[in-house]
Amino acid sequence: MPFDPSDIMKDRITDIGPPKYDKFFPPVIKENYGKWKYHEILEPGVLVHVSETGAEVYTVRVGAARLLSVDLIRDICDIADKHCDGYVRWTTRNNIEFLVDDKAKLKPLIDELKSRGNWFPIGGTGASVTNVVHTQGWIHCHTPAIDASGIVKAVMDELFEYFGSHKLPAQVRISLACCLNMCGAVHCSDIAILGVHRKPPIIEHERVQNVCEIPLVIAACPTAAIKPKKVGDYKSVEINENRCMFCGNCYTMCPALPLADGEGDGIALWIGGKVSNSRVPPKFSKLAVPYIPNEPPRWPTTVQTIKKMLETYASDAKRYERIGEWIERIGWEKFFEKTGIEFRHEHIDDYRLAMTTWRTTTQFRF
Amino acid sequence: MAQVEYKGKVFNLDEDGFIDSFDNWCPEWVQYVKESEGIQELTEEHWKIIHVLQDYYRKHGIAPMVRILTKVTGYKLKYIYELFPSGPGKGACKMAGLPKPTGCV
Repeated sequence: MPFDPSDIMKDRITDIGPPKYDKFFPPVIKENYGKWKYHEILEPGVLVHVSETGAEVYTVRVGAARLLSVDLIRDICDIADKHCDGYVRWTTRNNIEFLVDDKAKLKPLIDELKSRGNWFPIGGTGASVTNVVHTQGWIHCHTPAIDASGIVKAVMDELFEYFGSHKLPAQVRISLACCLNMCGAVHCSDIAILGVHRKPPIIEHERVQNVCEIPLVIAACPTAAIKPKKVGDYKSVEINENRCMFCGNCYTMCPALPLADGEGDGIALWIGGKVSNSRVPPKFSKLAVPYIPNEPPRWPTTVQTIKKMLETYASDAKRYERIGEWIERIGWEKFFEKTGIEFRHEHIDDYRLAMTTWRTTTQFRF
Repeated sequence: MAQVEYKGKVFNLDEDGFIDSFDNWCPEWVQYVKESEGIQELTEEHWKIIHVLQDYYRKHGIAPMVRILTKVTGYKLKYIYELFPSGPGKGACKMAGLPKPTGCV
């Protein structure tokens, strides 16, 4: 039935959930579900999984920009129709995987992907820099301090050789969030790019009482910098600028407290997080660079700083060592020394449980 | 800011159809909004929810949490959705003249 705006509940379908996942399994996956014996990485971006039944499935992983047009998705579907019987899947880092059940089908698929210029770069497996988990940025969100897609493109261009190769000691996960709401994985990534503000919000006193629920604004502040205040006839708020650390939480709750600022906003880089339980427990990423200005459209300082950190790690870490493990082995003072990053007062934690991050031992390196 | 006229009253709306100020709310506003919210006939129960929201907002300066709304009115969330198909936020709060819900909604 066509949607009828005068009776919106008529013929309304709801609570049906997503389609069941196995409806879209390639036959070889469906038949061997739960029976996989081992897998190998044949070359960067190409995997083979072998089943107890002897069946094999070959996977070709290609990079994607995450933000895709319908035209490009149709192209992807065309490739899947031509080589993979119409089956294709996306990974948790927004790469695309084409699966074939016969080694003879692998080469034509790879040739086809390579023939399409840079649209479908093959890689992202093993000890590589795979896709960047990122957010909306200036494309769509209203609270960002930085862009997402633009920075990701600039970073991946510079690190492209690491996408289609296995040159690193272990996999390096890079992610980006355009404000410290941290949508995505920045808090637990090997290298994280985070948008930060450096100026307190502007208070639009005449709007606050109309568009904001003032108690929510006050409760949104992690440092209790906001209190209610009457300005003229308006019920509004007052922000203690000495207590404000520019998180922007209050703007999320209240549209009358904008804080985005062209010159104030910029990038903080974080390093050393991971989510896997291999060898050592999961780690949060820690602050590496407190501030780099926004430099659209290519963000050269950010890109070069990331490259410097990555290459120092690549040349210095032992095999299988993630960035966080490497830093913990050599010590943070050596990390700053080797990468040449300046250690500043912003690096020292001063939030509530900060004491646990300070050094309470005489062990350190000069 | 868009302006609409309804039964001799003028309302200023934002792009999502929320009223510009709680002080400019009047019963005609509810009549005006009900169609875009998919409500055929306003019942006592609609008004009860609207009045609970307004009383709570006047007293506390915020919209009540959903569990408070269900507890005070005695209506389960499912029934609130039957009354206001867009839900307690976009539907009921809009009709009650409360500010637009914020946060990662």
